Amino acid sequence: MYQYDAIDHQLVAERVAQFRDQTERFLNKELSEQEFLPLRLQNGLYVQRYAPMLRVAIPYGMLSSKQLRTLSDISRRYDRGYGHFSTRQNLQFNWPKLEEVPDILAELAAVEMHAIQTSGNCIRNTTTDQYSGVIADEIVDPRPYCELIRQWSTFHPEYAFLPRKFKIAVNANENSDRAATQVHDIGLHIKKNAAGEIGFKVIVGGGLGRTPMVGVTICEFIPRADLLTYLEAIVRVYNQHGRRDNKYKARIKILVKALGIDEFRLRVEDEWKHIKNNESTVPAAEFERLQSFFTEPSYEALTDNPGALTDKLAESTGFSRWFERNTFPHKKPGYRIVTLTLKKAGQAPGDATADQMDKAADLADKYSFSELRVSHEQNLVLADVRQDQLIELWNDCKEAGFATPTLGLLTDMICCPGGDFCALANAKSIPIAEQIQAEFENLDYLYDIGDLDLNISGCMNACGHHHVGNIGILGVDKKGEEFYQISIGGASGHDASIGKILGPSFAQEEISRVIHKLIDVYIGQRTPEEHFIDTYRRIGITPFKEAVYAKVN
Amino acid sequence: MQKLIKDGSIVENQYSLIQDGDSYTDSNGIIPVDKWLEKPVPTAGVWLNSDQNPNLLKDVDLSQFAVIGVNFPAFVDGRGFTYARLLRERYNFKGELRALGHFIPDQLGYLLRVGFNSFDFASEVNLDSALKLHKTFNIKYQGDVSDPRPIFLKR
Repeated sequence: MYQYDAIDHQLVAERVAQFRDQTERFLNKELSEQEFLPLRLQNGLYVQRYAPMLRVAIPYGMLSSKQLRTLSDISRRYDRGYGHFSTRQNLQFNWPKLEEVPDILAELAAVEMHAIQTSGNCIRNTTTDQYSGVIADEIVDPRPYCELIRQWSTFHPEYAFLPRKFKIAVNANENSDRAATQVHDIGLHIKKNAAGEIGFKVIVGGGLGRTPMVGVTICEFIPRADLLTYLEAIVRVYNQHGRRDNKYKARIKILVKALGIDEFRLRVEDEWKHIKNNESTVPAAEFERLQSFFTEPSYEALTDNPGALTDKLAESTGFSRWFERNTFPHKKPGYRIVTLTLKKAGQAPGDATADQMDKAADLADKYSFSELRVSHEQNLVLADVRQDQLIELWNDCKEAGFATPTLGLLTDMICCPGGDFCALANAKSIPIAEQIQAEFENLDYLYDIGDLDLNISGCMNACGHHHVGNIGILGVDKKGEEFYQISIGGASGHDASIGKILGPSFAQEEISRVIHKLIDVYIGQRTPEEHFIDTYRRIGITPFKEAVYAKVN
Repeated sequence: MQKLIKDGSIVENQYSLIQDGDSYTDSNGIIPVDKWLEKPVPTAGVWLNSDQNPNLLKDVDLSQFAVIGVNFPAFVDGRGFTYARLLRERYNFKGELRALGHFIPDQLGYLLRVGFNSFDFASEVNLDSALKLHKTFNIKYQGDVSDPRPIFLKR
């Protein structure tokens, strides 16, 4: 993974010192609440319902076991002994004290971590596929490109006060998009052209929130050397022309929609022609330097499907279920990618206790070259596990509560913290997740339902990405009471689409019944090959709507 | 007249800022850009509001101005950061580039990097305190107005 040099260390140290000074001046009333707000937000510090919330960046999801232990240690000493992994490769602490945040940042800096630009109206933490560098079918490893973007966007002097937050995600896999790139302000798809040169298809103007949109392609292929100048051109057009009168209309998606992609593209190209080929054009040597941080660990020469694996798969249904759902093919023979799920019933999705973080760090040391990944679906990943050690890992995972064999199934839901923690939320989301987890605890039934993305958000800000859930649940407030609106047909991969609202919202206690009805329609109508989303796309919303809203006789 | 920070020192303000509706024929004034474009009188300089892009001046010889002001109606309105870069890098303005309006001392690091060298703060800002923040980080990942080389050309 990327290693800081003296330059990176100094930059982060200067930020810690700056934030310490800003915090002291705020506490001494030298900085007003209004002035401190964007300064603290750019360092990931929110003021939430009960306490500040600190969002720590996990750039493109990479985490060393040492870093994870530091996070667990911070959670014990400065917080309440747990953290929350968000959908954008961050870890959130829910209870830090404002005056202690500079100390937390200093401890993070010591392990090459920070909270820079994890919030605020600036370019946020760049995200990518959690299986980067190890998954068998990727075009190239996207992480060096993410690191390039991370550095370019960090303290960019022109873009610290954009009209709104700005999110970039990178994908390098034609078969899957685990970074939801099409619902980002900029989505980048790494491509190779006919000459074998690496470049990017650039998608712009996607996003969720009040006006969910799938992004549109602005450029089919930008050579990699031109990436930063092209990004500069896009963000510069947005900074000048994005709306600033209404925060709900300030995202780049609104600008792209208002101008139309052709006019937007003309403006970007007009901007780009002035800066293309300037000093920010990236030399090949820099790509090589960045790539050198993401070299392969010392894999052993192994073969696939060793007896130690196949025998156990035959013996144990539990193990084979976990293997089937929670592990993925690795590009190296004899290895497997393993996801540690943070979706155990009774635990808020994405939450990990300090003990679980330590345990995951131990597992990374023991089985996966001391590295982990954080996924968009709020789980942890061990990317390089020997197949002959999977059974042992599975047993360790069961003890730690990481072995729920439901990755990609209905109960592996994405869920925001909701009204239990978030000041913005209109409704709770964690109890909804619990209700569904309790209702659908039968594994055979879950497996029969198959791949299904269920996403829950406690408000229109859509942190739980409900719009792109195959089934989406949105908490709404009606005269002070919490209700839930259901949408179906959303998707976040290469086939991204925004879900359609089923109809009137439901009371909290009705949700699992409604989900059941939706599943019944799917099971009744599906062909043997179809996932939920495919059946929906074939038969449309009406049969689902009829079943859910049918009068009980 | 209120003092300002210029080139790292607290100095007297040499120019008078002419607001809309004021007389704008003052040869020592910084005049609203739209007024000046209507009637290009000799003057110390012009100022842009946040919805007035420097493209307005693309056909104007900027060397006739000693100063160009960029107004921040609110410190979170970041258009002025882009305007400063365009004035310096695209329109090659060499004179005094002055930030006006409601920006805050904590933005000085960013403002300096996009090419501002003069800061006419709101009257309630203590300039001695602000001067302590008149510095950029020692490390800059991106190119900027003072040095167009990104970090990868400097490592």
